Amino acid sequence: MTSTDMPLAMAGPEAGRRISTRIWQTAFASVEFRIGLAVFVLLLLAALLYPELSGIDPTKMNIRAKLTPPLFMGEGWDWAHPLGTDQLGRDMLSRALVGLRYSLLIGVSTTVLMLLAGAMIGLFAGYFGGRTDTVLMRLTDAQLSVPMIILAITILGVSRPTIPSIILVLGLAGWPVYARVMRSTVMAERKKEYVRGAMVLGATDLRIMFTLLLPLVLPPMAFVAVLDIARMMIFESVLGFLGLGVQPPTPTFGNVIADGRKYLMNAWWIATMPGVFLVLTLTSINLMGAALERARNAIYGGA
Amino acid sequence: MFILRFLARRLGQGAIIIFLVSALIFTLLRVVPGDPVRLMVGGMAPDTLVEEIAAEMGLRDPIHVQFGRYMGKVLQGDLGESFVRPASGAAVGGASFDDSTRGERAKVLDLIAETAPMTLQLAVLAMVFALMIGVPIGVWGGLYPGRLPDRLALYTSSLFVSLPNFWLGIVLALLLSVKLNLLPAIGYRGFSYTILPALVLAVEIAPFIIRTLTVSVAGVMGQSFIDIAKVRGLSRNQIVFRHALKNSAVPLLNLLGVQFSMLLGGVLVIEFIFDYPGLGLLTINAVMQRDFPLIQGIAIVTAAVFVLINIAVDLLATAIDPRLDY
Repeated sequence: MTSTDMPLAMAGPEAGRRISTRIWQTAFASVEFRIGLAVFVLLLLAALLYPELSGIDPTKMNIRAKLTPPLFMGEGWDWAHPLGTDQLGRDMLSRALVGLRYSLLIGVSTTVLMLLAGAMIGLFAGYFGGRTDTVLMRLTDAQLSVPMIILAITILGVSRPTIPSIILVLGLAGWPVYARVMRSTVMAERKKEYVRGAMVLGATDLRIMFTLLLPLVLPPMAFVAVLDIARMMIFESVLGFLGLGVQPPTPTFGNVIADGRKYLMNAWWIATMPGVFLVLTLTSINLMGAALERARNAIYGGA
Repeated sequence: MFILRFLARRLGQGAIIIFLVSALIFTLLRVVPGDPVRLMVGGMAPDTLVEEIAAEMGLRDPIHVQFGRYMGKVLQGDLGESFVRPASGAAVGGASFDDSTRGERAKVLDLIAETAPMTLQLAVLAMVFALMIGVPIGVWGGLYPGRLPDRLALYTSSLFVSLPNFWLGIVLALLLSVKLNLLPAIGYRGFSYTILPALVLAVEIAPFIIRTLTVSVAGVMGQSFIDIAKVRGLSRNQIVFRHALKNSAVPLLNLLGVQFSMLLGGVLVIEFIFDYPGLGLLTINAVMQRDFPLIQGIAIVTAAVFVLINIAVDLLATAIDPRLDY
């Protein structure tokens, strides 16, 4: 613990960058990271290219081809629709892949927002301490004690859910954990010599916070945030499922599955197939995230 | 004496948290668009009537006045009455504004008290399932860090976190109820209706148990008192179950405190899919109907439970491990 902390603390941001590289390398050496990365890249490419290349519009209806089952499953399957079609004859594969785009977009931007908001609040609370700390941390506790999903559906249920508002709501509901971690690391860091040295040299608080502390403590948090991308993607699909996500006709995992639930008895693939995509994507992200987290813990000693 | 001081301090902090939560939800509900009175009286009612009823209910007063009035009642143990739900538990909303059959409205506290035991039953069963899945995998993984059981624990937990609860619920309902006809799924008519929802919830909780246990068991097993136990001639089973597991129980308990709100979020969605008449379904309906008093009441009760659980967790942790400080 102390042996890894000391040189890091004295060398400042420069060492932080080298440690990030080391974490990447350790993670990349593990099997699960590579599996995750391969699956993820494949899915990402499919999501980016397939709907355009195949020229299949995910919202185009074709009543004659409605309820076509997936390949080799049941009667009347068709090569043109590998995952079958829904009750309006829309192609499930391209719907699932377009859903994946929205899911990733919302997942990534939400996590970034949440990381930034949490880091800022934790940084201020941890650096200034005293009354600022008490106020900010009580706010954090309060927010942690209301289930995030209640907060999210309350806001989105009464206002119109659009992509920016979904990102904002999820991001603002998820910051408390980051704020806590950030605060405790900043509190430990700010007592160290290099911070005191900078103070003696006359650096302003903001300068110390943003040029010395932030580059040092943000990367280790950012690695763990990869896991939160997956968590946020699930949240987004849950919201969609409840009818509070991106609104139809735009296909997202949540609203496609909610829609398909009505046809579960005679067309099971509508509700289940998009879920398979979602699970594959999430598993690949979670494998990468877990490998990164382990690599980070191995290098930081669990800090 | 120490315990009393600890309790007083924590309960005081808890009261502040609950107050902040109420203020947060209360303001939020009144700032966002969407008029509950319009929903109560129905679309046909004239605007003047809407305004009249809103003024009568005090909904047009400044927010801080409304909040003061509300908190005054809450302190007396009165969480108010639901905007839309009648006390008889019959039809929900949608009636026209001059319907004379709309009598007494249901008390928020009663609504919560009715549904909370159902949710508790679901949560406890889910926790039992989750421990049954998570403990063997987690402990086994922790005993062999870096080897096959550890990898297996990593893979299972990564897969389990990746299963969206609503999707898993649908798939399991399709397989177990529709195809195999093993378990009932929708609604509630007896204990067997709890099993499937609890299973889905357990899959959501298990990865956190697995992860925590793998890390903490591996940590405990590396410590010198375990080596000494071997020298003392204890069998491997004794070491694992009496020493390693007991020491890993504390992080597990802490996890329960921290993840409580996640658990509740899961309950919400799962109750919605399975139409399970618990607190989660009540919450979703309350939000959909803009039933302000009910949403506020649920948020306050949830925050209170969160505070109490965290105090209980800390007390239990010190009981298990006397080295910990209050």
